[in-house]
Amino acid sequence: MNTESPVKSPAPAATSTSATASIPVLDARNIKKRFGDTDVLKGVSLQAHPGDVISILGASGSGKSTFLRCLNFLETPTTGSISVLGDEITVRDGKLSNKDQLQTIRRRLGMVFQQFNLWTHRTVLENVTEGPIHVLGLKRDDACARAISLLERVGLSHCSDQYPSMLSGGQQQRVAIARALAMEPDAILFDEPTSALDPELVKDVLEVIRSLASDGMTMIVVTHEMSFAKDVSSHVVFLHQGVIAEQGTPEQMFGAPATDVFRQFIGESL
Amino acid sequence: MNALELITEYWPRFLDGTLMTLKLTGMGVLIAAVVSPFFALLRTDAPIYVRIPLRIYISFMRGTPILAQLFLIYYGSGQFRPVLQEWGLWGFFRDPFNCALLAFALNSTAYQTEIIRGAIAGVPQREIEAAKAFGMSRFKTLQRVVFPHTYRIAWPALGNEVILLMKASALASVVTVFDIMGRTRQVFSKTFDFSAYLWAAIIYLCITALFVGVWRLAEKRLGRHLEMHSGKVDTPKITKTAAPMRGIR
Repeated sequence: MNTESPVKSPAPAATSTSATASIPVLDARNIKKRFGDTDVLKGVSLQAHPGDVISILGASGSGKSTFLRCLNFLETPTTGSISVLGDEITVRDGKLSNKDQLQTIRRRLGMVFQQFNLWTHRTVLENVTEGPIHVLGLKRDDACARAISLLERVGLSHCSDQYPSMLSGGQQQRVAIARALAMEPDAILFDEPTSALDPELVKDVLEVIRSLASDGMTMIVVTHEMSFAKDVSSHVVFLHQGVIAEQGTPEQMFGAPATDVFRQFIGESL
Repeated sequence: MNALELITEYWPRFLDGTLMTLKLTGMGVLIAAVVSPFFALLRTDAPIYVRIPLRIYISFMRGTPILAQLFLIYYGSGQFRPVLQEWGLWGFFRDPFNCALLAFALNSTAYQTEIIRGAIAGVPQREIEAAKAFGMSRFKTLQRVVFPHTYRIAWPALGNEVILLMKASALASVVTVFDIMGRTRQVFSKTFDFSAYLWAAIIYLCITALFVGVWRLAEKRLGRHLEMHSGKVDTPKITKTAAPMRGIR
């Protein structure tokens, strides 16, 4: 049973992740991933403490999406270890040390995909109640109540009986966020949540993510939205050729980029 | 005797035959429908010593005439009568209805397995991924995401398979099952009136038309999540004419 709700607990005020004493929500250590002969990730480590909003930036091919997908084992890392609130899985040669933990970890990490990945044969409401009912074992009434309030929160309660195909991309993505929140996750992973959206729809989705950030939700966001990374995140990670080339607070990173590659990257993006 | 007199006199036999055809087809289709999803999963995701026999079975059922399969079971079982008697199975194989049912169920299972397998391959990978990311177990993912999609995709093809099997069930009359065709031949040999076959055709046509109607209604209901889909609905509709000749089976 997932009774604790980390969303409501006050976020620590610390801006630097290494300085906090709390146990990290998510602790990924030395993640490596090979596809065939290509080393996509060459040892990436990341810690997320409660309330952290970590933006992962990088050019395409830098391994940022792969890294995010390794965190909940949608991709199996080649080696590395990941622990979520103390439940740990270590991977060696693509073999998991502890397969029983897999579903526990996935339940604790919400995920929002670039292409929304809503279940198209279910209504908006059913999409949001699906996880709570069929994964967490909530009663239908409780799950519905939770879903309705979450849909209100993302501004889509009027769409609850529609099917995903009837909604715009921006609406679908907001449903996807509500669907992730319904699991009351300890952290949410966003995989380029606005990349598949028309420019005029990006704003609504970012607004929702921003409001989650101000509520203290722990989030790891792979994004191309520089202004989002700059304004919302507590920590920025820049991946380049499978390693973390630079990381720090957005003020440091954008104010005084320490590496040439990152300076070049933001130069091109702005 | 004209055609009308023929039906007013012999309708009970035709009715009897119709019920037999429906029973034979219905049971055959149902047995196949229960088994085929399991076979379809095994077909893609099982150790090689399960997959290969399954492939051979499917190739055999799809590559040989259904009449040959029926003969193999009906006449073939007679060859092994002592063995079957010893195993207590002779009672089953002695009845031509059981032989026909077994042949049709085996045949339809092979076809339905392939239909379902193809449909499973067509389930949007993203939605399976979402289920995984939400910590759904493998079983739940199949139950909640994979199979609901699978049957929507497979529905028209499954409808065609039912119609094909219904028409192929006329072959059962060759091994003395009194289905529509069996009864018709009986009536014809009594009356030498060719219109008996005309009535048989009409009955088959009515069953098919009725079935297609019901199936389409169900298809519409299953596909309601696609209704306002940006005009990209390209699921093939079932038609009576779309069926390839049963003879090539």
